[in-house]
Amino acid sequence: MTTYGPIPAGPGRQAAFYHPALFYGTEEEYLDGVGSFVRDAVSQEHSVLVAVPGPSLPLLREAVEGSEHVRWVDMHQAGRNPGRILSMLQEFADQAGEHTQVSIVGEPIWVGRTPAEAWEATRHEALINLAFDGRPVSILCPYDTALPEEVLAQAYRTHPVVGDPGAYRASSRYTDPHEVCRDCDMPLPEPQDAVVVPFGERGLALARDRADRWAAAAGLSPASRTDWLLAIGEATSNSVRHGGGRGTLRMWRADGELVAEIRDEGLLADPLTGRRRPDPRATTGGRGVWIMHQVCDLVEIRAAAQGLVLRLHMRLE
Amino acid sequence: MPRAGRTAAPPGRVPSEGRHSSVVFSDDRQWAEHLAVFVRAGLGKGERILYFADTTAPGRVLRALTDAGIDAEGAVARGQLSVSAAAQTYLAGSGFDPDEMIGLWFDATREASASGYRGLRAVGEMSWGARGITGADRLLEYELRIHEEVFAHLPLTAWCFYDRRLMCDEYVSVLADAHLTHRGEPHPGPALRVSPLVDRPGLLMSGSAGYDTRDAVAAAAAALSGAAAPQMELDLAALRHIDAASLALLADAAAGRRDGPPLKVRQAPSPVRRLLQLFPELDSVVEVVDR
Repeated sequence: MTTYGPIPAGPGRQAAFYHPALFYGTEEEYLDGVGSFVRDAVSQEHSVLVAVPGPSLPLLREAVEGSEHVRWVDMHQAGRNPGRILSMLQEFADQAGEHTQVSIVGEPIWVGRTPAEAWEATRHEALINLAFDGRPVSILCPYDTALPEEVLAQAYRTHPVVGDPGAYRASSRYTDPHEVCRDCDMPLPEPQDAVVVPFGERGLALARDRADRWAAAAGLSPASRTDWLLAIGEATSNSVRHGGGRGTLRMWRADGELVAEIRDEGLLADPLTGRRRPDPRATTGGRGVWIMHQVCDLVEIRAAAQGLVLRLHMRLE
Repeated sequence: MPRAGRTAAPPGRVPSEGRHSSVVFSDDRQWAEHLAVFVRAGLGKGERILYFADTTAPGRVLRALTDAGIDAEGAVARGQLSVSAAAQTYLAGSGFDPDEMIGLWFDATREASASGYRGLRAVGEMSWGARGITGADRLLEYELRIHEEVFAHLPLTAWCFYDRRLMCDEYVSVLADAHLTHRGEPHPGPALRVSPLVDRPGLLMSGSAGYDTRDAVAAAAAALSGAAAPQMELDLAALRHIDAASLALLADAAAGRRDGPPLKVRQAPSPVRRLLQLFPELDSVVEVVDR
């Protein structure tokens, strides 16, 4: 673990990986802490990405001179599924090139996130440390102090540096990302009524057709059904290819959404699987998991010794 | 049939509908009936008839015809009918090669014409496709290609005999769907059906494509990349689902076509459009018309 002494939030940041959590309680603190980070980055001609909840975007734009040099992204949309955020950040950093300093504001957790989303967002925060280790990338993550205690406590474990607009310091609670990921594997609640479809290679087409018909009957829109089927198609084929040749698909309706669970005997050796844009032609490299993250509203991953469980959530809108 | 290299296709197209049929059966009586119908029609039209056996002894073919009241011995004696084993003819070399086979059809049709016949008709027992013969994995690619590359140019009628006792139903279904005309027993539709387009070079894919149908998609991709036609189309109107791997295979096939324009995709269904959104790099080799 890297240790840090007192670190200034803005000027003088080193061309090394820097991943602070910023705790804010008021709009003023938010604009002060995030605004100064972005202004410094712009003035130093970094490649800058700001991905925060939509309502904060106009405030920040106004507070930053040279905002046309910043890529602004509504995290409510781009990060609806926390599992797809890291791919966006890595793609942005890759496009900047090896020798350009990259500065990112990423706010993956906001008041209103469900506990399941918050755990996957915490996993994402931990994985940032693995994905960007050793790269000249700064990622500031604002945390609203109105968030639940448990969420704020995890931020101290996923960020090597923590602080408020005034001062940053090394987090004494910073924890190995793999350990955080294991801790994010909270027990999944059992559904009340699930449709169960066991499948092997010969049953893949049948499983896809069952999933499509069931979702149509449950009221999922045609566009969302396309995504639902793409995700389930990738997950079930992964079970056959990597998860012991077979698996079990379960589907149920939850609060305003449909959930598909794919359970098999597979292992997810690399927790970064599916969190980087893949070559569509490559048969390895997490293409299937990446697609699931892109098209689903939430993907919950439970990788245990006895097998892999994926829960794909699709909102009924 | 003599072996020869590929002969250039003559210009022009001849209506090919109905001349390349799958014949699916599961007992000897059905086999004999199809055989008799086919040979009788050929003799009546003054065509040369070739039977390429796989598991059936040539003598049994002649006896079945004789039993059906056909003068098979006479037809053999005057050179109009020939019964031979695939293993001694087109499978005699290093295995099955679709390109070589296509060339052989041109040669055999030319020879039949030169001998005064009005055309050529052939029966092929296709059960070797289920064995581990080198190149057998290219059988579906071959069946998909010959509608355009052979039948659209030659006065050839061919019935491909699929014996369900020797091949699994799923494989028979996939292969039978590569023909535009079907005879014999109905076969259940496979998860993914791939057929040639009736009136222009290209393929029609319908159903659900995924990891389980990768062999059929690979055959379709090989048929698209190997086809001689300058422009190939892919009609996907009835495709319900396709996975990223299958789309990537088809895009690779399109990219591999020599100097060809992008593969024209008609009636692209929503999963194709969504995958092209996610992977814009595939969009450069497939042209979604009617987008």
